[in-house]
Amino acid sequence: MVLSDEDVNRRKFLKATTAGGTAGLTALAGCSGGDGGDGGDGGDGGDGNDSSEDGSDGGDEAGNEGSNLPTYTYVNNAQSYNPPRHDAINLIASQFGDELGLDMEVDVLEWGTLFSRVSQEYNYSFATWHTFFVSEPVTELNNLFNSGNTDPGEGNYSGYENPDLDELMGNYLGEPDADTRIDQCHEIQQILMDDVPTMPITQMPQAAIFNSNQVSNWQADLANGFNSYWTMINLEMEGDTSTLKGYWPETLSTMNVLGHNDESKHVYQFNMMYDFLVQLNNNAEPDPEVSLATDWNRVDETTMEYTIRTDHSWHDGEDLTAEDVAFTYNYINDNEVPLYSTQSQYIDSAEVVDEETVRINMAEALGPFNLAVANLLPIIPEHMWADRDNPSQANIEEPVGSGPMMFDYWEQGSEFGMVKFDDHFAPVSFEERFWRVIPEASTVWENLINGELNYEPFGRIDRQLDQNQDNENIGTQFQTAPTFWMFTPNERQEGLGDVQMRKALVEAIPRTAIVDQILFGFPERGFNIVSPAFGPLHTEDVTEYEESIDAARSRLEEAGYTWNDDGAIQAPE
Amino acid sequence: MGKASFVVRRTLQLVVTLWAVGTVLFGLFRLMPGDPTSYVISSQMTQEARRQLIESYGLNDPLYIQYFRFLENLVVLNFGQSFHSNQPVTDVIATYLPNTLVLMLTAFVIAYAIGITLGVLSGWYRGSRFERSTVITALTARSVPTFYVGLIVLWIFGATFGVIPMSGMTSLGTGGQSTGFLDMVFTMDFVRHLIAPAAVLAFYYMGYPLLIMRSSMLEVLSEDFIDVCRAKGLKERTIMFKHAARNALLPIITAAAIALGYAVGGSVLIETVFAWPGIGREMVRAVLRRDFPVAQGTFIVLASTIIFLNFLADLAYGYLDPRVTYD
Repeated sequence: MVLSDEDVNRRKFLKATTAGGTAGLTALAGCSGGDGGDGGDGGDGGDGNDSSEDGSDGGDEAGNEGSNLPTYTYVNNAQSYNPPRHDAINLIASQFGDELGLDMEVDVLEWGTLFSRVSQEYNYSFATWHTFFVSEPVTELNNLFNSGNTDPGEGNYSGYENPDLDELMGNYLGEPDADTRIDQCHEIQQILMDDVPTMPITQMPQAAIFNSNQVSNWQADLANGFNSYWTMINLEMEGDTSTLKGYWPETLSTMNVLGHNDESKHVYQFNMMYDFLVQLNNNAEPDPEVSLATDWNRVDETTMEYTIRTDHSWHDGEDLTAEDVAFTYNYINDNEVPLYSTQSQYIDSAEVVDEETVRINMAEALGPFNLAVANLLPIIPEHMWADRDNPSQANIEEPVGSGPMMFDYWEQGSEFGMVKFDDHFAPVSFEERFWRVIPEASTVWENLINGELNYEPFGRIDRQLDQNQDNENIGTQFQTAPTFWMFTPNERQEGLGDVQMRKALVEAIPRTAIVDQILFGFPERGFNIVSPAFGPLHTEDVTEYEESIDAARSRLEEAGYTWNDDGAIQAPE
Repeated sequence: MGKASFVVRRTLQLVVTLWAVGTVLFGLFRLMPGDPTSYVISSQMTQEARRQLIESYGLNDPLYIQYFRFLENLVVLNFGQSFHSNQPVTDVIATYLPNTLVLMLTAFVIAYAIGITLGVLSGWYRGSRFERSTVITALTARSVPTFYVGLIVLWIFGATFGVIPMSGMTSLGTGGQSTGFLDMVFTMDFVRHLIAPAAVLAFYYMGYPLLIMRSSMLEVLSEDFIDVCRAKGLKERTIMFKHAARNALLPIITAAAIALGYAVGGSVLIETVFAWPGIGREMVRAVLRRDFPVAQGTFIVLASTIIFLNFLADLAYGYLDPRVTYD
């Protein structure tokens, strides 16, 4: 049985979400931060933006103290950081407490504390956040679920261990054949959806929100959605508009492409300012037509060779050469640039074969090298970086790249602008692009409607979008993202190592109510850890879970759980 | 005790106060929950890379070593380097503080000019309809949240009538056109953007001097010398402004000094609503993101300004009212 909206007790729902009424006010305090609105949490708190990010506002409890299981703590972000997610977590926790008889408490934490509590200290029972952007799913799954990553901070915060899965993921990562990898990826999903160490609550959409009188032809790519390189080089400007005008709720932090924290606000800028060996098209395939490398081949399991364009230059007019490419890979590797530490693990060295060929020697075999490394490392000019000893902490004022947009100005806290690089092999159709820092959402919408802004890169899924999407000047496009709001139980805690308990918890999550009532129907209900956005890597052939309290209780009963007279759950002895 | 020894004593107090403020700030930020590196690191970083980053910020050193390093740097006004932008904190302050000062000082001057004048008049016309309406206005100005007034102003004059810009200090897309801060400030575009936030802030700040001035006036008006002025046949206007108002001004000096000090901290709400790139928003952002160097630097600048302006207010008291001694 799918739980209808009405099945979620109205009083309970309102109790869990009434704080949402104050969202507009608290966000005004500059606290919509990070990606509160809801891009990935990408280590930012995202802003992101957004930014923002205040401290604890106390917790909530649904006590069932007669249970022989421990009290479970659901860590929640502050209401001001991400209002809908805050409400959703409260709602789920109340379902677990009231309907399944768990002894629950909700601990509201500032984002940085929450992230540390979960990923470093493992001091939590349940966690929910927006998963991080990736273009290659198994690289991230291996990080999250490999049994060798269970020490604090290593990535496997759920505590899930499965040697068979480890082997399968290892095979996938070392497999050069793409078709074989597809089959392996399907098997990986099936195992994970059977064991549910993590469950998607909602498959989040990527949203293009724009002024339809000024700009059109929005095509998303996999990882960066409608803010990707592919999107930008395919945009078409309408009428006499020649400027792409966007906003972000908070300022950029740095102009250092090797020294940012991977927040989307930085990624979206640097993706246009720098070239990458390989760029993806909207089918998530490497596309030589729009990449710095016009051809590539795998020499052997651990060697890739790339043919580089020889007629390309840096924004300052210097020629971009194969030496620059080899320098970039060696420099990032030798300097142990933290931002690219995951990619560096797979790089041994890079060397120039001839003036148009670069060979990259891997430290260990990596099948999806293009997606997991070549698509992610920005190519930097040797003549600008060779003398910088501590690249990740360099204070760069005017970055020099080779991408389709050139740095123009950065007025900190106010506006950032780039202009078109006319000599690029994949030119954009607009002359300039700026982002104005505007923290207040209603101002953004006024500007979008009247054409002062013409696109909304932050992708805020909220009431304003719901109310304004039918405006005659506004265009919207949605596409399922690779990211989702996840629900992760900590298997190190008593009772949560039981797979039947985890499955019951998944069944008790009111996914439909969260999608329809808290997120205005924009996302889809979560159902698979590898999103359909990954194309052939995704499979529908995974275990599906009902959304039903009855099913959850039946499952627990069959597994030997009982409830005492007070409704508190009793685990089998 | 003379003025010289008063200045020396207060200067020493000022140094001790600053040390105490610095110590409290250092302790507070370290006691706050949350990992300062959680906003700097990427989820994709390896554990080793994270460890190296923490080490590079000196955050793995014992607290007392961090504290002494902090004090050492404070003495030479070196606030360190932002964890997030890698910029020197002094550069961060130099970027945002002038924006705040222009906004706050404009609002401050307008608020105190109007507030003091209305305070004098309402005190003078005690019991009149004018007094009642100014007091109600003052209380309203102080009570209604500034961001609420700001949003209403934006909605009416920006979105509905389009007579004021919706955000920022300059028109959208014009960034990079000015050669410097002063070049930007002396443009009509900037003035147009300044009007609404300055007016909203001025409305809020106006209530305080108005109420203080009014009650101070009421006190002064009961003094004998006012009767003497009247007996001398002076004009009412002369008595009101030249004799009563001047004597009622003293409490305003302290209030103004403190308010001016706080102005250096900006107004987070107004800066947020009007997208004004000021120090207030940056300060809050630094605190929330655990950017210790920026947070400490901005708070110390704020605290120093308040302490210093109080000091100046104390000195001004003695100058403005010879009856006040420096004992």
